[in-house]
Amino acid sequence: MTLLFALAVAVLFGSGAYLLLKPDLFRIVVGIVLVANAANLTLIASGLSRGRSPILPFGGETPSDPLVQAMTVTAIVIGMAVTALLLALAYRVYTTHDTVDLDELSHAEALREKDLEREEIEV
Amino acid sequence: MLIVAPLAITWVAAVALALLDGRRRWVGWLAVAALVAATAALGVLTVAVVDGEDVEQVVAGGWPAGVGIVLRADALGVVFALLSLVVVLAALTHEVASGVRTRGFPALVLFLSTGLTGLFLTGDVFNFYVFFELAMISGYVLSAYGGEARHYGAAFVFAVVNLLGSFVFLIAVAALYHVTGTLEMAVVGERMTAVDPETSILIAVGVFLAFGVKLGLFPFHFWLPAVYVGASPAVAAILSGALANIGAYGLLRFGGELLTQELALGATVVIVIGSASVVYGALQALSRRDAGEVLAYSAIGQAGYVLIALGVGGPVGYAAAVVYAIVNSLNKALLFLAAPLRGWLIGAAFAVGAFSVAGVPPTAGFFGKLELFRAGIDAESAALVALLFLGGALSFVYMFQIYQYRYWRNERRTDPSPAVLRGVALALAALVVAMGVWPEPLLLAGREAAQSLGGGQ
Repeated sequence: MTLLFALAVAVLFGSGAYLLLKPDLFRIVVGIVLVANAANLTLIASGLSRGRSPILPFGGETPSDPLVQAMTVTAIVIGMAVTALLLALAYRVYTTHDTVDLDELSHAEALREKDLEREEIEV
Repeated sequence: MLIVAPLAITWVAAVALALLDGRRRWVGWLAVAALVAATAALGVLTVAVVDGEDVEQVVAGGWPAGVGIVLRADALGVVFALLSLVVVLAALTHEVASGVRTRGFPALVLFLSTGLTGLFLTGDVFNFYVFFELAMISGYVLSAYGGEARHYGAAFVFAVVNLLGSFVFLIAVAALYHVTGTLEMAVVGERMTAVDPETSILIAVGVFLAFGVKLGLFPFHFWLPAVYVGASPAVAAILSGALANIGAYGLLRFGGELLTQELALGATVVIVIGSASVVYGALQALSRRDAGEVLAYSAIGQAGYVLIALGVGGPVGYAAAVVYAIVNSLNKALLFLAAPLRGWLIGAAFAVGAFSVAGVPPTAGFFGKLELFRAGIDAESAALVALLFLGGALSFVYMFQIYQYRYWRNERRTDPSPAVLRGVALALAALVVAMGVWPEPLLLAGREAAQSLGGGQ
């Protein structure tokens, strides 16, 4: 079971990292989502234990570890909030720059800097 | 219950103000008032903790100790919390006085303060992550503040890079829980000593990576200049003076208390990365003319000093790291807030900040550098002392360059900035000078904080 989780985490993190290296803003957001879920799975896997669902009364049986589930739910909520924020930022970039390509963005930035430098020399 | 007060005040005020339009004057001043109250409560707590040497501890929800989530206030935590709130307070006052431009700004700053206070005062590893994300998410939104097109691109990169760091940290937290079976910092620290170093060094690398990104250390710094340059002065002051404290505090707390053996094992690597940051930051800053850019690269260099002191370790090293982090955070807040202003005494305030970065008496920066030299001598390394000297000399050159460029050049006369803005910058400058003239509290805070890490024994 642990090996299965480890493989799943590895695949998720690897794909996320690959997407993070793309210049497209929305691919980057998806990459972050994948990395976030790799972290969530790691959290679940850190306390893998068999048992009843941890709700009182236990009735003699040992419950499974409730802490990892509480942590994972919290992490999922944080991940969702962050995704919403990133999408909003990406959309703002799109409406202000008319592009979601990081290469084009940095190209525009370089042009702007050149303009600034020229102004400075004239002053 | 004093420990809950600063958290509760900022939290309740943040939620309430989020419903109001922050562009109105009175809403902004309400946020300032809430932050003043929280800072005052934290000040009382700091005096109680640093003087009395007792650690205040509250277990949330009335659970027995060991089950519930722990809030605790030790010297290291309260010192960083107080420092961060003072910086945030100065920045918020600055922005409210000069006119808030978006409706969410005061509430976001208060959420950020809640996150910062919480993460410095928590005794639970996972809770640390939650508060840390609360502060960082507010930071991401604030970094886009200003509404100009170029801010959004920089904010996006800032958010993505730091989120990657956060998730690596979360994986490290999961691994910590897996090998120790607890989330309580004090117990994690004890149990880590029994863990196989092959496992624990991986966890330590994850934690180091996460805080290295926050702090903007040399190989992880690439997002930093783009965010600081062009950000509004208040936001830049909050990011570099308060939010960057997370990195310094996290490295001290996790390296000095939880992963002590791993830190000792990787001390050389930590010192080398710190030295690379110092040299890289100073050289880059030297080649820039824009004040924002110089300060951004200077922040990378200054973070390196904290890392070097951490690598030296022991009571002297930890104390130096804490003192330097305090001084650096005040310097950055002062410089970012003073740089765009004009008028009577502003040049002097900026000069105080510049001298403090360079480590010239009678500013607080002198004692920051002094503690670093002590750490270097303690480590018996001539190379380290030479590097510290070189770094100090370079920082003197680049700080003086921007001072000269901004204040000595003949330029068109502009009207002096509003009195409140100048007042905030002058108050920070006075604080930096006061700490340099009467350094006892600063040095005591450093010693006590180092002791609370267990480095004092």
